[in-house]
Amino acid sequence: MNNPSFDYKAAWATITQAFPILQSPPSLPESDFETVPFEAVNTIKLLNLAEQIQGLVITRMEERLRKDIVPQFWSHFKKTDHDSATFREFHDAVKFLYYNYMKLDLIMNKLIVLREASNVAKPVYNHACLHEALKLIVKAVLLSQLPVDQQWLILSFYEKALKRQDCEEESYGNEQCCGCLQEQYVCQCVEMFQETNKKLGKMALLEPLVGQSLTDLIYNYIQAHIQKICKDSFDTSHLESLEKWLQSVIISWLKKIYYYDCANRSERFINEFDQKLISYLYNAYTKIRIDQLFNIIIEYPDSLPALEDLRLCLPKTDLKPHLTKTLQKAMETRLLHPGVSTSDVLTAYVATIRSLRILDPCGLLLETITQPIHRYLRSREDTIRCVVSSLTEEGPNDLAEELVRGEAVQVDENTPVDDGVEDWETWTPDPVDGVTSKTSGLPRTSDIISMLVNVYGSKELFVNEYRTLLADRLLSQYSCDTEKEIRYLELLKLRFGDSQLHYCEVMLKDIADSKRINQHIKQDLNYSEDDIPMSAMIVSAQFWPPFKDEKLELHKRLAKQMEKYTSAFETLKGSRTLCWKTHLGIVDLEIELADRSLSLSVSPVHATILMHFQDHKSWSLDALSKVMHVPSTILRRKLSFWQSHGVITEREPDVFHLQEEQENKENNLQDDIVVEDYESESAMASAQDQREEELQTFWSYILGMLMNLDTLPLERIHQMLKMFAFQGPTIECNIQELKVFLDRKVREHQLIYSNGLYRLPK
Amino acid sequence: MAQNFNPFVEQMPENVKQAESSKKVSNDNHAVTKRLHKELMTLMMSEDKSISAFPEGDNLFKWVGTIMGPKDTVYDNLKFKLSLQFPNSYPYTAPVVKFITPCFHPNVDTSGNICLDILKEKWSALYDVRTILLSIQALLGEPNISSPLNTTAADKWKKKDEYKKLLLESYKEV
Repeated sequence: MNNPSFDYKAAWATITQAFPILQSPPSLPESDFETVPFEAVNTIKLLNLAEQIQGLVITRMEERLRKDIVPQFWSHFKKTDHDSATFREFHDAVKFLYYNYMKLDLIMNKLIVLREASNVAKPVYNHACLHEALKLIVKAVLLSQLPVDQQWLILSFYEKALKRQDCEEESYGNEQCCGCLQEQYVCQCVEMFQETNKKLGKMALLEPLVGQSLTDLIYNYIQAHIQKICKDSFDTSHLESLEKWLQSVIISWLKKIYYYDCANRSERFINEFDQKLISYLYNAYTKIRIDQLFNIIIEYPDSLPALEDLRLCLPKTDLKPHLTKTLQKAMETRLLHPGVSTSDVLTAYVATIRSLRILDPCGLLLETITQPIHRYLRSREDTIRCVVSSLTEEGPNDLAEELVRGEAVQVDENTPVDDGVEDWETWTPDPVDGVTSKTSGLPRTSDIISMLVNVYGSKELFVNEYRTLLADRLLSQYSCDTEKEIRYLELLKLRFGDSQLHYCEVMLKDIADSKRINQHIKQDLNYSEDDIPMSAMIVSAQFWPPFKDEKLELHKRLAKQMEKYTSAFETLKGSRTLCWKTHLGIVDLEIELADRSLSLSVSPVHATILMHFQDHKSWSLDALSKVMHVPSTILRRKLSFWQSHGVITEREPDVFHLQEEQENKENNLQDDIVVEDYESESAMASAQDQREEELQTFWSYILGMLMNLDTLPLERIHQMLKMFAFQGPTIECNIQELKVFLDRKVREHQLIYSNGLYRLPK
Repeated sequence: MAQNFNPFVEQMPENVKQAESSKKVSNDNHAVTKRLHKELMTLMMSEDKSISAFPEGDNLFKWVGTIMGPKDTVYDNLKFKLSLQFPNSYPYTAPVVKFITPCFHPNVDTSGNICLDILKEKWSALYDVRTILLSIQALLGEPNISSPLNTTAADKWKKKDEYKKLLLESYKEV
């Protein structure tokens, strides 16, 4: 440096005066608005050191930034618990950074003068303009020292601002600022917010520094907002208001921020961001609704607006597979478990059908989602009974309504479905995003009842169940009022066809005929009713479902009366006779005891018991059981009915007495005796009994099989039964059931099972 | 045969005839299946445990039958398996019935063929699996010595002890 021909020292002094940052220690004057002194420029030019000086200055600036300014800036971002101060903290940090930035910018101004004077055009960091270069340097240094947890401050700053904006939207009259919780006129939040954004914008730091945080914040904010709005309310449509909210709050707020973004792309950027946000809004909203879908379905039709929203959202998002998965899972965890009664499952199923019909009119979605329900319903024993009884139930009921509404849809698998050639122009293919199912070959139907029937694949089962139900109802009512039943029958006929319901028709006709025959017989002069007036329900054994078989020997007087009735019937009907079901029916009794009289309607068993007590004041259980042909255990249960009425007492074990006078008025009802609820019993043979009978049939086939073919595996037995023994749609037996049955036989030593083969014991 | 005839003229009606006959068979088949199903059901539901039969596999036309030797005869307590093969023309033609279990008997040969009039010339459509099996069961106790297939058996029939010894020697449960 020590060149005698030139006063280097003086030259350096001149230069350092012009660029104080080159002094050691480097200094940054508070306000350095002077341009570079002419002599300094000349000196540099003379020495041809412009580029070097520029490099030196910039290096010093970088050093300054790195060592001093930026660490100080980031020090503002240390985590504090004082939440209220954060707003100001960030503001101050930016203010500090901006202040220093401006100072550096002034140096840049000087450098520019120098560059112009000495014709240096080499770009700095690829920027011809030194201001831009400075921005780049600041950005680079800032990001190079980015602390780990810097986001929280930015987030809290913008969150407060956003909340403030939101509050303003919502309530104008609010005197308090949501950001700093100060009275509005003292609050400087808006000013501070604007100032900060402006400064960040000027430094071109908006996007690099806060962009990501801002995006996160907005997404979270939208999510939270939707969650708040949609929580448990399905009865209003939110889509429109949400979109409006997005525009008026979020977008306008964003515009306020990016207004200062000096990078001249705000318009396009905002537009793009706008699109992104709308799509995000839809996505978030749809996801929330999908998560709530099960509740929405259960609350149908009150949840219609929510469903409508979802329908609009689905095409805009790609969430159909998500919907299918979520809903199926929700169904499984909330509906398809043993804790839910079948009728509830059915109600939910109907609601599902209706809701999904709105979501996806083509029915593909419905088909996919309801398949697990189908499978589950099939595994429940009382499904058909539930469906049939709710079909014909009184009162508000989805299924009954559906039946009454009934477009005359024939539930027939064989009729070719008219594909609607008329409106082929409006035909659209199935959406590709739905999960295609194997059964898509079948015509999809949206008729709820046909869907329920299709759960089982055959309408015979339904019709059979209806027949049993009808029989039960007709017999338990003992009334000839069949008008209502006929109405339902006609409605069912519309759906299931005449031939299927022929049996039921005969049953109803039997009731009407019985009424007529009763009248005829009573007019018959040869027939007399001494003390027991009776009327018969005459049913055709061919057409009615099998009755429960119970033995009961009626009292002589009753039996005699029945004989009389039978002979009267025989004379009336020629070659026909009556076969009495003695245990069925109803008896109206007037009981006159010494101190009171009772009037009751009871079953024949109960009546017979009392008639026997009319003859003898006391009976032993065994004797009565012999006379009535009723097992003593059952008889005891029946006796308890009279015990509960205080008519009969068990004075000593197994000996019963008629109680003419009540011993104790208060204690006339013996609490400890379980009163049998005889009315709840079905007159029909229970499904289980019928099943048992069917299994017995199978058993004889299995015996035949094993006798001749020695040993067989389970599958083979099942296959053989299917080929040779199953007749008709109702007689079926799946392989699990068969296994249970065979295992039972093994336990009973009627079969031997070894090596996976069944055989008969020797 | 003359060589210069149009083969199609001759062949056409033959083809038609064939088609017709096959159609007839298939129609009949249905009736036969139905009858066999019904016979199986009555057999299964019957209380008689000394005779039994069941289709062997997927083919309804091939059955396996089982008869117990009649009581108070040398065949008592022995179990005999038979195969029953039903023709498509059943029940107008008798099924082919053979013993699977070796059976030492005057009217049964060593390969199990049975000489029984109702399975041959005296067959009637009124017979069914049950009656066939009952007849064979009866035949075990009362052989027709005059027209034997197994002469040894016919000769020894009168000598019960010797007969039983030979019977048990040949008997082998399948």
